[in-house]
Amino acid sequence: MGSVVFFFRFLGWFSLRNLKRQPGRAVTVLVGIALGAAVFTSVRLAVHASLNSFTKSMDLIAGRAHHVLIRPGGYVPEILIQKIIAHPSIQSASPFLSTYVRPAVTHGDSFLLIGIDPILDRTFRMWQTEKVRSKNDAPWLDLVKFPFTLVMGEPLARKIGIRTGDTIALEHSRQTKSFTVVGMLSASGLALIEGGRVAITDIATFQEFTKLYGSVDRVDIRLKPFSGSEDLNSFRKTLPQGTQLVQPSITRNSGRKLIRAYQLNLSILSFASLFVGMFLVYSLVSLNAASRRKELAILRSIGGSSQMLFLVFLAEGALFGIAGWLTAIPLSSILVKYLLQAVSQTISTLFVRVHVEALSLDIWEIFLSFGVTFITAVMAALQPAREAMSVAPNEALEVSQHGLKRSHKTKHPAAMGLLCFVVSLIFSQMPNVLSIPLPGYAAMFFLFVGFSLQAPWILEKMGHTLSPILRRLAGIPAYLASHYVRSSGTRTAVSVGALLTAVSLFASLVIMTHSFRQTVELWVHQSIGGDLFLTTKMGSINHFRYPLPPTVINEIRRLKTEWDIDIVPSRRFSLMHDRFPYEIDLIDLKVFFQHGDFFWLRGDPKKARNMAIDGQGAIVSEVFSNRTNLSVGSTLETWVEGFLVKLPIIAVVRDYRTDGGVVFYSWRHFNERYYNPQWSGVRFFFKDKGIAPDSAVKKLREEIITRCGENLDMISGKELRRSILEVFDETFAITSVLLLIALIIAALGIATTLTVMVLERTQQLNTLIAVGADRGQVRSMIFWEAIFLVVAGEFTGLLCGFMLSYILVYVINLQSFGWTFIYSVDWGALSLSFPLIILTALAAALPAVRAVFRQSPAMLLRER
Amino acid sequence: MILTKGLTRIYSLGDAEVVGIENVDLDIAPGEMVVLKGNSGSGKSTLLSLLAGLDHPTRGEITVAGYDLNSASPSELTLFRREVVGMVFQSFNLLPTINVIENTVLPALLAGKTLSESRKKASELLEWLKLSERSNHLPAQLSGGEMQRTAIARALINDPEIILADEPTGNLDSKNGRIVIDLLAELNRKRGRTVIIATHSSLADDPASVIIHLKDGMVIHPEWDR
Ligand SMILES: Nc1ncnc2c1ncn2[C@@H]1O[C@H](COP(=O)(O)OP(=O)(O)OP(=O)(O)O)[C@@H](O)[C@H]1O
Ligand SMILES: [Mg+2]
Repeated sequence: MGSVVFFFRFLGWFSLRNLKRQPGRAVTVLVGIALGAAVFTSVRLAVHASLNSFTKSMDLIAGRAHHVLIRPGGYVPEILIQKIIAHPSIQSASPFLSTYVRPAVTHGDSFLLIGIDPILDRTFRMWQTEKVRSKNDAPWLDLVKFPFTLVMGEPLARKIGIRTGDTIALEHSRQTKSFTVVGMLSASGLALIEGGRVAITDIATFQEFTKLYGSVDRVDIRLKPFSGSEDLNSFRKTLPQGTQLVQPSITRNSGRKLIRAYQLNLSILSFASLFVGMFLVYSLVSLNAASRRKELAILRSIGGSSQMLFLVFLAEGALFGIAGWLTAIPLSSILVKYLLQAVSQTISTLFVRVHVEALSLDIWEIFLSFGVTFITAVMAALQPAREAMSVAPNEALEVSQHGLKRSHKTKHPAAMGLLCFVVSLIFSQMPNVLSIPLPGYAAMFFLFVGFSLQAPWILEKMGHTLSPILRRLAGIPAYLASHYVRSSGTRTAVSVGALLTAVSLFASLVIMTHSFRQTVELWVHQSIGGDLFLTTKMGSINHFRYPLPPTVINEIRRLKTEWDIDIVPSRRFSLMHDRFPYEIDLIDLKVFFQHGDFFWLRGDPKKARNMAIDGQGAIVSEVFSNRTNLSVGSTLETWVEGFLVKLPIIAVVRDYRTDGGVVFYSWRHFNERYYNPQWSGVRFFFKDKGIAPDSAVKKLREEIITRCGENLDMISGKELRRSILEVFDETFAITSVLLLIALIIAALGIATTLTVMVLERTQQLNTLIAVGADRGQVRSMIFWEAIFLVVAGEFTGLLCGFMLSYILVYVINLQSFGWTFIYSVDWGALSLSFPLIILTALAAALPAVRAVFRQSPAMLLRER
Repeated sequence: MILTKGLTRIYSLGDAEVVGIENVDLDIAPGEMVVLKGNSGSGKSTLLSLLAGLDHPTRGEITVAGYDLNSASPSELTLFRREVVGMVFQSFNLLPTINVIENTVLPALLAGKTLSESRKKASELLEWLKLSERSNHLPAQLSGGEMQRTAIARALINDPEIILADEPTGNLDSKNGRIVIDLLAELNRKRGRTVIIATHSSLADDPASVIIHLKDGMVIHPEWDR
């Protein structure tokens, strides 16, 4: 106990007071760590909020069902419910329907409309309406009694501005209808879905509204207590072909998996900031350990143990960790607001729809962010602490021979670095672990470490070869600078390491984003050809589950004969292959190939094109192939609306649609082999080639509206392609912000190192002035030192960045999302950014220059 | 109480070897006042660092106050430095971040004593050393003489049997040097401490009971005064 008290007292005397003597440096390091921690924390919290809200909504929708009966690609016939309930093993069953709708007048945000049987549903899901004094009946009875009534979540009602008793027109793929609001949901159970933006109606109303007579999305089922797998099997046998009994959590889990992958990617990216901050802690603590050697020796000579000194320096790192994390809290609360919005938007467009109302402070997330920050800071202090521990007590004595040079080995770390490259290479070749690209990240980490370990060697080599040249070209200051940098040892190398990390991240992400964007752009223009795209109203948000009505199809067919256009009808089905969600896209391939093409990856394009047109096989996306391990030669088997569909795979193509997995097959041949799948969308091409002018598209659009009515969503090809790229750019906006912060921290690192280097040499520098150097020369020497560090950092960073970008493109992206892209380097952005980085680093040298002249050279004469 | 036999410390600098001290035999009784003399490089500091348990001999035997320093473990050595010897250095070696009284109590705290009991002791010492006014000053605010007296107070806080001083007057003027030597002599005479001073100056010749001359690391001519 006493020794603990003493330890902290001593920490105050020895470390805190020392830090207080140079508040500027301590604050810089603190800011660095705090920025890193803030980025990490807010990214984690933002994604966690999305994950949480998604999971919660999914759980609420799943309710207390044991199993869920679905019919892949289609709807479950309602009459089955009677049969299910009659089965001896079944305790209860309840139908469930949901769709996105939106207020027709305002065209406001869409929200989820749920259709249930209020009585059957009782055992599955909890929901309540707020008590209304004037009424005796429960509003849920009104739902059953009166058609086109609904109850809605309070937040939704507030947003639209309506109250109980009001009517509201809602539009949907099939039609627009007026509903009467008969009650408000109290904030529990189902009412919490998507942050309360939800409404519930009776199943009969729902079916009439969506024209799904006699069909339901799914039937939730609860088994009787103590029923075993035999009972379940016997029950399964009674179900008609084409239906499937699945776990209620299946959609939830596949969605979570996608968000998790995204979360991991962002976490790693944001950890980079902390990693760079780690260099900052290292440089300050190791400066303290080195410049206070004498004090350490004194402490040892008066009875301090080496363990104590070790702990003191470790504690210094820990202090930075704790203080940095605490400082990060207000920073995070600002940052997270921006991120919350951006992240949930990205997740919604890329993966699954999420609606984040508020931040959920998860204890585990807080703990994680603290732990990561703390451990990072302590790790950074580890090596300096060990150095401090090794100070011999007799260094406190004046011995005749001073300044026996400690030799620093630069060969040894360089060799270790080479070893790291090998390890990195091995990791990059390894498969996913637990469907997380851990080996990929490990490969990245070892690449960083490997390059950082090269830094001392590179500095030495650079100083060595450049110093004679520099003396001739740039005079004595540059010469002195090169000499100093050459022999300055690990600490200088560390700031090079920090810069290197930031630069390489920057370079690799620039390359990756550029490759990604270039590829997506190519894909968009090749495969998303078409002058106008048509689907049912709210078709995309409802996963194209409501095919176009026959009247519309007939009108479009007529239009084709009258106008100079080609049409490519298609039908999309959302399906699951062993927990992996994908889409089957049936399209008129013959016409499609006349106007566009796929982005071929595997398989012979020419052969595949002909085979696909003849309906001999399906073309699958890269993501689908990587996720399901089905490639050219395998056959995909799946139930679609009660038909067992078998599609041999003939080619793999690149595709960057949101969820990724797509299977393309000829609509005509599907129709011939199985049944008429109807149309869920149509692409229009103007026959005379070349992009049709906007006015022609506009005219076509107006014509379609007059013939088919308003209940359609249309977007011109130009707009669609632009919006796809916009989504892409928004997604990477977050990345850019994170990157910028890492660069700022690296600049702080350079600033600290240079200042430290200068202060450590006050004696030397003042001696220089005393023997006749003028201030300009000293100043230029320090700038030259900065240039050396920056150039070394840039150079190695660039090299590392190129390797890293390979890992990002070919390992991490493949493992996280299942796609790759065509590698292409954005030389423009890279070369433009470098003068910027150099300028930043030179600006970072300014405090160091100021520090030299703070003390008068007369201090040489004073004994400390 | 201090016994060495064939004590040798050889520094190796890569290929070259430099003799610090060689074959030094000493037998110093408790209560002696020993002055080590010799030219620069003769091995005075080397010998002191061995006696203080700051360094290990290359060969030879060394026993101080019953501690066999050759076979002592690192933790025993730490204990030895805390309890048995007090060191005074040429350049004072105070910790710059803490004030006079904190510097003084530090070894006591390191030895596990409480702040209040060590403070009492420190105040007495500082009183005796005429530093009471300076208790709350940082080392940088002191004169050389005051710094060295603080260092003496620090050396005495744990009541060591032996006080080792390496050029304690080296950075002081003759007046302050005199004061420091007188204080060390007083400690020896009135409080019976064993005091060993390594010095070039002749200030300490008078109060010395033993003068040992070192040359090239070897004892050349022990003179017995009394
Ligand atoms: N750490 C060391 N490494 C190598 N040689 C050393 C070391 N310390 C001392 N020496 C050498 O040992 C010899 C004795 O040095 P020492 O410092 O003990 O002499 P000194 O008598 O204290 O000298 P001064 O009066 O200058 O303080 C010298 O030749 C010195 O160069
Ligand atoms: Mg000496």
